[in-house]
Amino acid sequence: MTLAILYALLAGILVSLSRQLNGRLALSTTALIASFWNHIVGFALLTVLGLILGGLWPQGALDAPWYAYLGGTIGVIFVASGSWLIARIGAINTAMLVIGGQMIFGVLFDTLRGNTDNLVLNLLGVALIIAGMALTQKRS
Amino acid sequence: MSRAQTRPSPLHIFLAFGSGGLLTLMVDFNGLVAFHGGAMYSSWVAHGTGTIAAIAFLALMRLRTAPGETAPKPAAPLWAYLGGVSGAITVMLTSITVNSALALSGTLALGLAGQVLFSLAADRWGLFGLPQRIPKIRDFGAVALIFAGSLIIIFANG
Repeated sequence: MTLAILYALLAGILVSLSRQLNGRLALSTTALIASFWNHIVGFALLTVLGLILGGLWPQGALDAPWYAYLGGTIGVIFVASGSWLIARIGAINTAMLVIGGQMIFGVLFDTLRGNTDNLVLNLLGVALIIAGMALTQKRS
Repeated sequence: MSRAQTRPSPLHIFLAFGSGGLLTLMVDFNGLVAFHGGAMYSSWVAHGTGTIAAIAFLALMRLRTAPGETAPKPAAPLWAYLGGVSGAITVMLTSITVNSALALSGTLALGLAGQVLFSLAADRWGLFGLPQRIPKIRDFGAVALIFAGSLIIIFANG
């Protein structure tokens, strides 16, 4: 359990480290080029790991609906926009605004799918996030 | 080390918020692939198709912009190319933790905490060659509100 907690914290740290490195690369190139390197380097590493550990071509892999394979393309735009933003508004602003968007869109998609359990708590969360986003806009 | 004090503009907010929405879609889609083929396969395919998509986007951009008009930029240090390593390891860690007692909500909540801690430190000291930004009280207020709201949503649905 302690190890799992450390892993989960580390995963979050690595998400931000990745954006920091891609943001630095974008300063010397462009945000899209940084996103390209992020993907090709990750692909090379995962290919090597997959060849060692196995599981690169699991049974039933192609049973997923075709649109699920658009995740990688969406990721390119996501990494490029993060790399562009982080040099302009900083790491913490980028992280919090992206997280806010992720949470609010998550609630929205969930509600559109007809899942209205916990709607009150979800709306409370959304309200707090919007208040936090508004606070980043306030001039001192 | 340069200091940046820019507040996020409405364009920044729109872009960051919208990319958060894209992240939700991406996690959904990659999760669907992982459901059929496992986390490693899902991440491998996402990085592979992403590489092809990035090349296609770059080719489209090149068609639209005249070459030779950009000012030369200083070269990036070699470590700046390692963002993808960090991202690939993240997938392996979270595929372990979601199957532990932490489950998805614990993984998300601790992941948020890790992002907040690293990002505050990265801004405070201008880590890895990005501008230094000393956070103010108001910045901590915004972080606390968004963090609290996110935790409520994560645990309400977990």
